[in-house]
Amino acid sequence: MGISRDSRHKRSHTGAKRAHYRKKRKFELGRQAANTKLGAKRIHEVRVRGGNKKFRAMRLEAGTYSWGSESISRSTRIVAVVYNASNNELVRTNTLVKGAIVQIDATPFRQWYENRYAKVLGKKKNVSAEEEAKSAANKERSKHLQAKIAARDSEVESALEDQFGSGRLYAIVTSRPGQSGRCDGYILEGKELDFYLRKIRNKK
Amino acid sequence: MSEQVERAFQKQEAVFLNVKGGVAKKNARWYKDIGLGFKTPTEAIEGTYIDKKCPFTGNVSIRGRILTGVVRSVKMKRTVILRREYLHYITKYQRYEKRHKNIAAHLSPAFIGVKIGDTVTVGQCRPLSKTVRFNVIKHQAKQTKGSKKFQTF
Repeated sequence: MGISRDSRHKRSHTGAKRAHYRKKRKFELGRQAANTKLGAKRIHEVRVRGGNKKFRAMRLEAGTYSWGSESISRSTRIVAVVYNASNNELVRTNTLVKGAIVQIDATPFRQWYENRYAKVLGKKKNVSAEEEAKSAANKERSKHLQAKIAARDSEVESALEDQFGSGRLYAIVTSRPGQSGRCDGYILEGKELDFYLRKIRNKK
Repeated sequence: MSEQVERAFQKQEAVFLNVKGGVAKKNARWYKDIGLGFKTPTEAIEGTYIDKKCPFTGNVSIRGRILTGVVRSVKMKRTVILRREYLHYITKYQRYEKRHKNIAAHLSPAFIGVKIGDTVTVGQCRPLSKTVRFNVIKHQAKQTKGSKKFQTF
């Protein structure tokens, strides 16, 4: 393809032009970027140096995201790419890369929360009485279990609660989809969340 | 505070900021002792800067050579150029000649007030950029003779 990662073509620290004295070697090769998009999963396997494999994700739609303060991870659908510190083009084309801020589906996390704390998350208006009765928050529990649940700390910061109300959480991608073939990350909370919310709002 | 000047959120990888039930410790900061008898500056421990290339609060280890030099330029962001002078022997004439080499070294925000002419100790680390393979680990300000208070400028 012609992409090489050598430094022999660059000028030296003193500014001198380096002589071209040997051809490109295979160990300094580079490959085309994955530019992982959102869509039905499509992953290409690449044989790399040493016979090892890399999984180049061309299209992904889900990943495992962690809720740090609660110490849990759930596999969720990725909805959209919302912010990228390096390049706005990557936001426009919904490209998944490490460090991109994405919106993920909140349902697995809400279900876990309702199971654990027996409380409804997010101030959802017009929840019909029948839906509320069926939700995990109000299922039958023994007195012992109820006591245990009451003792747990179920506080969630307000910014997160609002996101649960809309069903979409902001998260940051921490895996490298073009290398591992996965788009995993963690949910933004606290100062980081404020920082990125402000950035997103200023862009709009 | 004002250390969030970049477009991405600056934080220390080793510190988890979102502990449940309120912040466990206000301004939790990770720092390390770089070894070899070098003292980690108080500014590194108490400061609020984020620098992933800092030897005390970032993800670089100092190993290999330890060199010293005189600061020649501080114009770059978080890096300095040092000048190391040495004498080279010419066997035919049995005499020496002066030579020098410039080294680019990363300067952590832990070291404040580094000026041209200061002596600095640098330690070798992994390549941090095209020319930077060293990291400042000690700083010794230039001694003015008798350190008179008044300095011509």
